[in-house]
Amino acid sequence: MYEVRFHGRGGQGAVMAAQTLAEAAILLGHHAQAFPYFGAERRGAPVRAFARIDDKRISIKSQIYEPDMVVILDESLLEIDPVVDGLTEEGMAVVNTTKSPDELDLGISVRCATVDASSIAMEAIKAPAVNTAMLGAVARMSDLVTLETVKRAIEDRFGEKLGPRAAEANILAAELAFEKTRTGICKADRTIFQKKVWLPTWEELPTGTTVYPEHIDGVAVGPGGSMQNLTGTWRNATPRYLKDKCIRCLRCWFCCPEGCIKRSEDDHVSWDYRYCKGCGICSNVCPVNAIEMTRGVTEW
Amino acid sequence: MVMKVLSADHAVAWAVRRAKAEVIPAFPITPQTLIMELLAEFIADGEMDADLITAESEHSVMSIAVGASAGGVRTFTATASQGLALMHEMLYAAPQNRLPVVMVNVNRSLGAAAGIWVEHNDSMPERESGWLQVYVEDGQEALDMVLQAYRIAEDERVLLPIMVCLDGFILSHTVERVEVPEQEDVDAFLPRFKPAFALDPEDPSTINAIVPPEYAMEMRYQLDRTVERSKMVIKEVDEEFKERFGRGHGGLIDTYKMDDADHALICLGTATSTARAIVDELRSQGRKAGLIKLRFMRPFPHEELREVCSGLRAVGVFDRSIGFNRYGPVFTEVSSSLSGQGLKVTDHIGGLGGRDITLRDMRDIYAIIGSDAEGKEVKRVNWHGLRGVQT
Repeated sequence: MYEVRFHGRGGQGAVMAAQTLAEAAILLGHHAQAFPYFGAERRGAPVRAFARIDDKRISIKSQIYEPDMVVILDESLLEIDPVVDGLTEEGMAVVNTTKSPDELDLGISVRCATVDASSIAMEAIKAPAVNTAMLGAVARMSDLVTLETVKRAIEDRFGEKLGPRAAEANILAAELAFEKTRTGICKADRTIFQKKVWLPTWEELPTGTTVYPEHIDGVAVGPGGSMQNLTGTWRNATPRYLKDKCIRCLRCWFCCPEGCIKRSEDDHVSWDYRYCKGCGICSNVCPVNAIEMTRGVTEW
Repeated sequence: MVMKVLSADHAVAWAVRRAKAEVIPAFPITPQTLIMELLAEFIADGEMDADLITAESEHSVMSIAVGASAGGVRTFTATASQGLALMHEMLYAAPQNRLPVVMVNVNRSLGAAAGIWVEHNDSMPERESGWLQVYVEDGQEALDMVLQAYRIAEDERVLLPIMVCLDGFILSHTVERVEVPEQEDVDAFLPRFKPAFALDPEDPSTINAIVPPEYAMEMRYQLDRTVERSKMVIKEVDEEFKERFGRGHGGLIDTYKMDDADHALICLGTATSTARAIVDELRSQGRKAGLIKLRFMRPFPHEELREVCSGLRAVGVFDRSIGFNRYGPVFTEVSSSLSGQGLKVTDHIGGLGGRDITLRDMRDIYAIIGSDAEGKEVKRVNWHGLRGVQT
């Protein structure tokens, strides 16, 4: 049995990537399954998806804790999520990065494939959906699946859902990535990020479903809660507050889908950039243009 | 037969398409939505001729289903969790009026302590509603069971609604290889629904009239006997399905490596898959472990369980739901089946609210049953994957 764990950001297509890999393996005559981990997702939040491949019928239905391969769709996850958890030195990693394998530091030294899937996706699909490019790199890295079957699986899965033109663009992304993938061994210098997770015993758990800020620094409890899912440096635009223009109507505070805008006593606002995904809704609803969206990550 | 790579939800939608359901009332609820989305696509693309009726709540969904079925058409719907709970009142109309509705319930926990993840505490309480209730393990079984469900439900010896239960996300959203049978093969297995009785404006009749005490007892007894009689039909239908499609699912129960087993776990849903991997592991170590897959909660296979458990030294029961203050509902049912046999039974509660059931959990479960078989002292009720000391 071969187990693959995908790590991406909400919107990058990790779930579709896992499903497409499973389909490609099935096209080669293997048995396979793929499934997502469902938490409280949002665009930009870390997501996981899983795929198992075997020559026999697969008789396990639990998540993957000791993957043979991790596929990392977003390099910035390394700062906020322990993406190589359970990966042993015999395992391998496929990473979306501009770095070469020997420049890349995963905190564990493994066989590694790197590809600039973001640029390839922008070129081929005109959108930052890197999943199909990453599958091209997976096909290059291992003999799990061939490029041909990956292309057929993309045609089936994306073609059916998004139409033949989308399938074509995604196939091109996989082909380009297959060409441009570099393989090697990555470095193990960094300390692997470990999440601080609140996991009380049943005796320690507060009674009822009432949780006060002192129990956990916020309101969201448990895995999937947004308090533990930092957007971090993922966003590509940052709101800038022009305090002098602000009329303190609080529309931005009311409309922020992440609740990351904080209201001070005088009704001026500030952003918790750890959770801001740069969607620009605050800027959009502001009646006096007191919030400008600036390109890139200027605060965190 | 066409091989497809489908999620279990989509496998269900394909089964409903092949079964040619004609009325499909729907209200979206996670994790059932994929079923209705794909059915809506089939209908919109002209690949399926059915009325998909969007209702304003699940209470109305079940009302529509009952009305459509009473009108004599093949009816399908799907729900989950809170949706099933909201249907509770209308659920009872279908069995006592003998309406063969097929409904898929994608198991999900009920709030409060709200969650979208799998737990059987939504469907277990409904096992007293008169609906037949089956639990499936993978996408193929989900598809096959929807086809079988129509045959069972519409059989004149049965005429009862069936709830096909499948685990949320870990099954509903898992894609696997699924064989979709050809339309003509399904047509031969499942001919057009010919209702034994139906509402007809040309021949007016009343259904669901008020029933005074002079008749109610007899109606309940009639229903009780019918649920019992459905066991025979369930077995027949599975055997015929196996002949036609080359796949059977065991009818009421399925067994794995039980021939010479001295201890076994009784399991339902996706936990069965994970348990099978541990049985293989234990067998390779020379341990005589077996697995009993409990497929139906209603009708409950009392005799079949007694038979398959005779000769065992210990048996465990897996519950993905909890009847608060001690045992899970599956344990309660199994214990009543096995009472008087002198068999040691332990209850194993796990996977609540979607907690992952790992290979390690399953290994722990079998270790306890194994110790029980060897006569060692073990706890009768064990929660697996729980943090904190169990008292």
